[in-house]
Amino acid sequence: MADPTPAIHNPDYPIPEELRNNIAITTLDRIYNWSRAKSVWPMLFGLACCAIEMIATAAARYDPSRFGMEVMRPSPRQCDLMIVSGTVTKKMVPQIVRLYNQMAEPRYVLAMGACASGGGPFKEGYNVVDGIDKFLPVDVYVPGCPPTPQALLHGFITLHEKIESQSITTVPWYRKGESEAIPVPILGPDLIDLRQASLINYMSTQTPEPPQPAAAAEEPVAG
Amino acid sequence: MYGVGILKGLGITLKHFVDTYVDDFKWGIRRYTSDEGFTARQGLETEGLFTVQYPEEKIAVPERFRFVPFLVVNDQDHATEPDADWCTSCGICAKVCPPQCIWIIRSTDPDTGRPVPQPKDFFIDIDICMNCGFCAEFCPFDAIKMDHDYELSDYDRTSTHIYNHAKLAKPLSYWQMIAPSRAEQERLSREADEAAKAARKRK
Repeated sequence: MADPTPAIHNPDYPIPEELRNNIAITTLDRIYNWSRAKSVWPMLFGLACCAIEMIATAAARYDPSRFGMEVMRPSPRQCDLMIVSGTVTKKMVPQIVRLYNQMAEPRYVLAMGACASGGGPFKEGYNVVDGIDKFLPVDVYVPGCPPTPQALLHGFITLHEKIESQSITTVPWYRKGESEAIPVPILGPDLIDLRQASLINYMSTQTPEPPQPAAAAEEPVAG
Repeated sequence: MYGVGILKGLGITLKHFVDTYVDDFKWGIRRYTSDEGFTARQGLETEGLFTVQYPEEKIAVPERFRFVPFLVVNDQDHATEPDADWCTSCGICAKVCPPQCIWIIRSTDPDTGRPVPQPKDFFIDIDICMNCGFCAEFCPFDAIKMDHDYELSDYDRTSTHIYNHAKLAKPLSYWQMIAPSRAEQERLSREADEAAKAARKRK
């Protein structure tokens, strides 16, 4: 758990004694992050069994509207949070990366469950990506197979803590210039990550070295 | 006639809305502050709103609940071997683990170079673990058990979610606390085994 009042929320400005009860000082970061963290809208999509648990979380018993997260938008333009809920297959990852690129900043990614975080039981499968973090910058990892609704809510709270610890002066989406889109991977014989295209090109042009002859076998002992 | 279903559905919502206030008047503040109020809200008889106010109140997990495993070690106030591992690093859990998320480093005696029945280190990648409980089921020494702690989300995978021995080791008293009846059952079966072994030796 993060410190309840991180440094960016403490302006450290001395208030005169006679004004103590009349003035409250805060930082712009605190207001900005408070309003942002309490209205994180997730994207409405599910990939596998974790999505069922996400639906259970969104229902009345656990009710994410207590955190301002009940508005699941079906359009990436209106979302702040992408919950990658389930197994990311190689066929699905181009669409997920494209959706992420279409989201407006600030945007967050929550890897829900074992499959989205690290591949889970399918980690070396021929058609499964070993964790969405191979392609997207993941903010919060929620372990579990699947995480119970309360575990997912804990992930949401962890995400809120991360949002509340960000500073308006250092966040990437207020820097000059456009942010780089993540190249959409190509589904080929195997998934091609375009960020490593130059490396793949280089390696495919190299001729493989001939196998080294095994060390000279010892003279067979006669008899 | 069109629209009857919609009206019925909205009527149910309205009924729960009104029932929440009825319950509130019946229970008063105890509905939200006392344990009985929480149980009544979660029970089958509840009429009004039954939302779990999660970080403040949590639904108790059943005793057989499975989440990421932990390693059983002796309590700190154990008579002869405090904090001693129950794990003998036999590797059965790593073999049966379906997603292969357990790594064990075996320890060897520095003088003789022979293996010592103790793990030097023990890793579980909790982002791979599928909470199946096979490791706990197959462990012949009752040394690995399924935990009840599900609040494990974090910001980084490699630095925080690959649990080592220090993070996995939990005392026996913790296991007795989260699963009292199973711990008692296991203790009885261990004692019976030891008695049978001693009887065989006497013969």
